Formats: sequence, C-alpha cells, structure tokens
Amino acid sequence: MDDARPLFAQIAESVENDILSGALAEESQVPSTNEFAAFYRINPATAGKGVNLLVDDGVLYKKRGIGMFVSTGARAMVVDRRRASFTAEFIAPLISEAARLGIGPTDLATMIEKEGGV
Amino acid sequence: MTTIGVTIPRATRSSTLDRILAVVRLHFINPKGFIWLPLAIMAFIFLVNYLVWLIIFATVTAPAEQADVRQGLQYSGASLFIFVYMMVVAVQAINLTFPFAQGYGVTRRDFALGSAVAFVTLSALFSILWTALSLLEDATGGWGLGGSMFTAAYFSDGPWFERFFVYLAAFLFFVFIGAATAAAYVRWKAMGMYVFFAALTVAIVAAGAIITLTGSWPAVGEWLAASWPVGIALWSLVPTLASAALGYLILRRATPRS
Amino acid sequence: MSEVIDVRGVTRRFGSVSALDDVSFEVEENTICGLLGRNGAGKTTVMQLLTAQDFVTTGSISVFGENPVENPRVLDRVCFIKESQRYPDDFTARHVFRSAPWFFRGWDAAFAESLIADFRLPVDRRIKKLSRGQLSAVGVIVGLASRAPLTFFDEPYLGLDAVARHLFYDRLLEDYAEHPRTVVLSTHLIDEVSNLLEHVLVLDEGRLVMDLPAEEARASATTVTGAATAVEQFVAGMPVMHRDSLGGLLSVVVGPLNSESRDAARAQGLEISPVSLQQLVIRTTDAPAREFEASA
Repeated sequence: MDDARPLFAQIAESVENDILSGALAEESQVPSTNEFAAFYRINPATAGKGVNLLVDDGVLYKKRGIGMFVSTGARAMVVDRRRASFTAEFIAPLISEAARLGIGPTDLATMIEKEGGV
Repeated sequence: MTTIGVTIPRATRSSTLDRILAVVRLHFINPKGFIWLPLAIMAFIFLVNYLVWLIIFATVTAPAEQADVRQGLQYSGASLFIFVYMMVVAVQAINLTFPFAQGYGVTRRDFALGSAVAFVTLSALFSILWTALSLLEDATGGWGLGGSMFTAAYFSDGPWFERFFVYLAAFLFFVFIGAATAAAYVRWKAMGMYVFFAALTVAIVAAGAIITLTGSWPAVGEWLAASWPVGIALWSLVPTLASAALGYLILRRATPRS
Repeated sequence: MSEVIDVRGVTRRFGSVSALDDVSFEVEENTICGLLGRNGAGKTTVMQLLTAQDFVTTGSISVFGENPVENPRVLDRVCFIKESQRYPDDFTARHVFRSAPWFFRGWDAAFAESLIADFRLPVDRRIKKLSRGQLSAVGVIVGLASRAPLTFFDEPYLGLDAVARHLFYDRLLEDYAEHPRTVVLSTHLIDEVSNLLEHVLVLDEGRLVMDLPAEEARASATTVTGAATAVEQFVAGMPVMHRDSLGGLLSVVVGPLNSESRDAARAQGLEISPVSLQQLVIRTTDAPAREFEASA
C-alpha cells in the first residue's frame, strides 16, 4: 500500500486486480466497505471512496440492502481500461530502463519473445 | 455557507440527579480509604486507650484517686483524632477524584455537589456509629473501666439525637475544611494550599487578638460553657457551610493539570 | 456538512507563553481526525479546551453546538482519555471499568471484557502497580468501550508495544465501522495512524499549520529521485520543498503530481515515491527550527 497514488485509488485497483484474475467473479458479491477497511487497516471513508469509484465506473453495482456486486462485463471493462494505460505505465518505463542498460528496442523485443516462450 | 451543527437529542440527556449520584458512587466505590481506614484507625486508638485504662486502673486502686482519673480521662484528646483525620479523608477524596472525574466528563458543579452529598452521607454514617458507641459506653459504665472515649467532655451526654447532631456537626466541620483546602490545592497546587492555611491562621490569630484586646475572653468562656456542646455545634455549621461554598468557588476554575 | 466541533480564534496563554495562538478549525461528525504535531505543539491543550478541562484565554469553542464549559449536556457525550490520566489511590482497573458506565451511557461491557482479554490487562491489580503499557491499556479500553459520540485519544498508547498499538488501531477501526462516532486522535507516531485518519490537523508551536483531508495531505507532496540533471530538468518551474543530494543522485520533494506527470517521470527513468504523512508533518513543523539554524 505504499504507492504515490491516493489510498482509495489503490483500493479500487486492488479490486480490479481481483476481477481480472477471476478471484472476484462477475455477479459475485464484493466484501463490504467495512470489511475492506478492516482488511487494509484504513479508514472506512477512504475504503468507501475507492469502492464508489468502481461503482461510478460501472465495474461494481449496489443491490440495496444486500451489498456490492461485480457487474456483468466488468472484467472486459477493466481489461480495456488497463490496456489503454498499459503503454504509459509499463512499456515506456521498460524501454527507458532498457535504454539505460544499452538495450535497444529490437534486442528488447527478442528478450520479450524468449521470456514469453514464443 | 450554512453549516448545521450537530446537536443533542433530548431523549439521551441525563438528569442532574443521575449525575450527582454517579459522583457519590464514585467516592464510595473504593471504600478502603474512605470508610475502612478511618474505622480501623479509630479501632486502633480505642484499643490503645483501653490498654492504657487497664494499666492505670491496675496501678491506681484508691477509689478517690480513681474518680479523679476518670474526671481527667474525660478530656482525653484521643477521641478528637478521628475528626481531624476526616480532614485528611476529604483532602484525599477531592484531590485524587477530581482529575479522574474530569476525565469522565463530570462538570465541576456536579462534582462539588456529588462530593458534598458523599461527605454528608459519610459523616452521617459515622455519626450513627459513634452515637451507638457512646450509648454503649454509658451502658457499660465506660467499658467496665470508667473509660471515656465517645462520651468525652467535648461531646454531648444528652439524648441520642443530641449526641448524633454534635458528632455530625463535628464531622462536617472538619470534612468541609478539608474539602476547601483540597480545592485550594487542586487549583493552585502546593503554593495555594500554603497560602490558604496562612490566611486561615491569620484569620484565627486576628480573631484571638480582637478578643484579647477587647478583654472579652471571660465573656467568650462563659458563652462557650453555656452553649457547649449543642450550641457550639449549631454555630459550627456556619463556618462549615462557608467552607463548602468557598471550596466550590475555588474549584470552579480549577483544572486537572497533572 | 455537519460539524461537531467548531473552534474560532482560540488563544490559550499561560503567563507570557502562548500554548495556542489564534487557532480555528472544525471537525465533522463521525470522522476520525488526527491532531498531529511535535511534543509541546499544543495538542493536549486543544483537547483540554474542547473537553472544558481548561479554559480559553480568548476565542470561542462550540461542541455539539454549545459551549462545553460546565455543560453536562455536552460533556455527557464526550470521553477524554489522557496519556497521563491520574486515578484515585488504590484504584484497580476493575474500579475504573465498574464506574465508567455510570458516566458513559453508551458503555459496552461486553466490548470492554473482550478488550481486557485482548490487552491481557490484570484488572484486579492496583493501578499504581501496573506497567506503563498496562496503564495505557486502561485508558484505551475506557475510550473504546465508552462509545462516547465524541472520543478523544491523547497519545494514550504511548506505553503500548507495537503489537498492542496495532491491536488498538484494529479495534478502533472495527468499532468505528460498526458504531460510527467522532474520534480525535493525537499522536506523534504519525505513520502508524496515517491510514486511519480522514482528516488531519497539524499544530506547530501553538499555531495550526495544516488543516486538510488526509487524502489531500498525503497527495500534497511527491519525491522525485534520479540522476541530478534529469531530476532538475523534470522539476524545472515547480516549487521545490526540499532537496537531498548524494554524489550524482538527487532527490527532490515537490508538490502533487498527476498521473501523466508521474508516468512521464518514470519514462525518463526517474523514481517517483510518495511523501509519507509523517515526513510531510516533519517538514512542515521543522521549518522554524531550520530558519533559526540558517540565521544563526
């Protein structure tokens, strides 16, 4: 939990990770805000903000009186969003770090293929 | 911007009586220093006195001399100790319980009222006990030895309600002086207490000086002899109430700085 | 917005010393608010004024909409557990827990019992004979089990070891989630409680130097580290709060950076790290001392 991004954004990201990995299936119930707060040891208001972020994005939805659930198509939504920021978040730093070590994009591509087992 | 402050719903407010009672219970919750210790001390003093009487009446055997001794015993100071000790009890009660009560969110007014009720109750309980013991002392002819502790010359030897009243007045007098002293200590710490005592001493000395200068000692002596003990007890209620009021006034701006 | 505490222009002087100097702030209902600052900054004074244990020199205080001084309606709903709470002689913890319900209507005895077990408190031992940690546990248990709508904790966990402290934070969060109330927590162990706080108030030498939602405070500064030239290039034009250099390495603290800027920095091989609340508070409250050093 020690990133430079706001806590509530980290909570949202953590839930998205679980949706991506399948740990949280679509239409399954998500833990309550209080449970998140207790688990991550953060203020319930902060946890609530993170959850509401996902509700606003449509990744989660509220069932009155019962709790929060993963929307159908949530996984696809998360994948789309992550793909959009994938380049800036992972590719660009990879290229610049490789450049520092004198590894050009072509060599980098070869390394990736080898590592990826293609 | 209109901000709606959060206010207190009527239903959850406690009553003054509840709060005062809570303070009373707080004083009595640990009866060791409040009740048992004074009683234990008194019992000890009594025991020591009893042994002294045994020794005296074993060595002094002539009836005339024995009568003399009995006269003298009536002025024994041992029986006064407990009343002065009540001052200590009051000082401790206020000094230690005040910061704690503040932590519990008790107002100074409720604390003063509750403590006063607690002290009066304690004094009444002790007075009942003392009255019973004084009647017993009479009935056993001074515990079988002609000893005199609860029926010393300072106290009343009249009917039980008179005795009770004299004891009560005496207990209350010392308790509230102690309470006022403690209030001075809580508010102004050691310096305050010294100043308080100094002021008290000055007042007493000044009174004594006035009486001396106006040659009024004989008059004072007569008045004392005539009004003792019930009249004096009644008059003592004045300084007692004054101490109580003074204590409250001092406490009103006291803070529980540790 | 509903505020439960409203402080306006409060000054508290002791002789010629100002423990608090023209302090104004509000605390919203049912939030956990941190009162941070160095020792002697005035945190305890603030709490004593809010609970009417002390009196203001100038200014006004409103708690639950009323002046708390000698006000049983307000004080009935307040619990203030001091770090240095004095208990009557010969009291045991048992006496404290038995008398607490007379003063706190919301007292939860079952909760108190479970906390006593959690903290392994010997309730029948004289308070005078308790260790520092056990003494702190008594205060913590009263504060938690009181369920007072406004509960203050003035560094009550100083004597507690790390395990006990985290137990306190856990129980506080749990209970706060189930039974919301307003909590004001003062501490100088800032990083430990940083994630519990919703709002942050920082005092320094009697003045209020920060009054922000915790999230904003945490986001208000970022550290950029990397090769000196690259860093200088990146932060050119930004207000710099602090510089640290080691050889060719430069670490600079700037204001908030949005995600684009952060990604750009990373793309240049620079490292972006957060500034912890503790570091932020240290920097904010260190300034006068450093100014003094600089001018000396």
